[in-house]
Amino acid sequence: MFDQLLFYLDFPFVRYAIIVGTLISLCSSLLGVTLVLKRYSYIGGGLSHVAFGALAIASVLKVTNNMFIILPVTIIVAVLLLCGGKDARIKGDAAIAMVSAGALAIGYLIMNIFSASANVAGDVCTTLFGSMSILTLKSTDVYLCVALSIVVLLTFVLFYHKIFAITFDENFARATGVNVNLFNLLIAIIIAVIIVLAMNLVGALLVSALVVFPALSAMRVFKSFFSVTIAAAIISVVCSLAGILVAILAGTPVGSTIVAMDIAAFLICYITNFIRSRRI
Amino acid sequence: MYKVLSRITIIAILCLFSLANKSIAADSTFTNHVDIDLSRMSATMVYSIVYQMVTEPKKFVGKRIKMKGAFSSYYDEAVDRRFYGCVIKDALACCSQGLAFETFKPRKYPKDFPSEGSPITIIGRFDYEKEEDGIGFPIIRNAIFIK
Repeated sequence: MFDQLLFYLDFPFVRYAIIVGTLISLCSSLLGVTLVLKRYSYIGGGLSHVAFGALAIASVLKVTNNMFIILPVTIIVAVLLLCGGKDARIKGDAAIAMVSAGALAIGYLIMNIFSASANVAGDVCTTLFGSMSILTLKSTDVYLCVALSIVVLLTFVLFYHKIFAITFDENFARATGVNVNLFNLLIAIIIAVIIVLAMNLVGALLVSALVVFPALSAMRVFKSFFSVTIAAAIISVVCSLAGILVAILAGTPVGSTIVAMDIAAFLICYITNFIRSRRI
Repeated sequence: MYKVLSRITIIAILCLFSLANKSIAADSTFTNHVDIDLSRMSATMVYSIVYQMVTEPKKFVGKRIKMKGAFSSYYDEAVDRRFYGCVIKDALACCSQGLAFETFKPRKYPKDFPSEGSPITIIGRFDYEKEEDGIGFPIIRNAIFIK
């Protein structure tokens, strides 16, 4: 098995998958903690459906690099959803559900009516479940992913304290002089970027798992924001790497294998917490 | 004298046959030597490599490929030609990948071919066939069926 793995690692696209998988899982887990605490757990799913709709439009328009359409559209919707605040007419989960289902339906409709490919079912399946997208990346995709991941990580590290303050109490953060609207906008943009990147790894339907599971697993075991963030990052990266390697060796779909690993990690953390609380 | 000449002739023929046999053996068309053995890889890896072959065929041109999949064929009326394919199916049947192949020896369809969908293993040389409109497709040439 080890020899087989070394043989597979000789292929550049396997190495690309490991690099991109690690970076995406790291970025998604960092913001995942904030999203879960702000009760925006399902925003990942909603935005990934928006990205799917944008991808359908990009395919029809035959844009050379579909990122030029997907990224701006997803960012705009993320800003509208997260920065709409209390003044929005359609709030919280209702807005996310509406955008999510609407974008998915429109995307599928466009793909069917203006089909640019002979295999619509294959395109939809690949986009929704990630199928093998992560193993079909080109070097330019990897460079783009590395660059965007560095931006996300730097933003999170540089503004960690402000993100922490906004996560728990926006009013308190505002009172201490933090520009809450600006940082909510920043978080929305970062989330949109992560979602678009994560679609390659697990597909549009499974993005939520990548955002939510590591954060929830870490919250079972650790209590402070810092320790939960670090633990979520480690759990996410380990699960993604294990998922990619198992998928390559066993021939299973990459996205669902990664999510299965995340579920296993959550169960382990849940049982650990349960045993620990019984001892106390 | 006649006996000596006949012996020399027989030896010469045997030597020639042996040399010819060696040269045939050295030509990879007639051997089972492969550069990329897809039949020993997991479904995920096969899908990914076939995807690379379809999207970036130039990297694989000239390589000997061994492939395991389901036999498929279709007749293209526009070019009056029957195409044969080795298809790797996925569970949902939406993301199947495959490569066209051309047999080493001319065969008659359907009598000399397996039935549609039956499992096949082929070895052949990867090539990229360009069509008149400039668009091409990858194909495995000189393919032989392996049992």
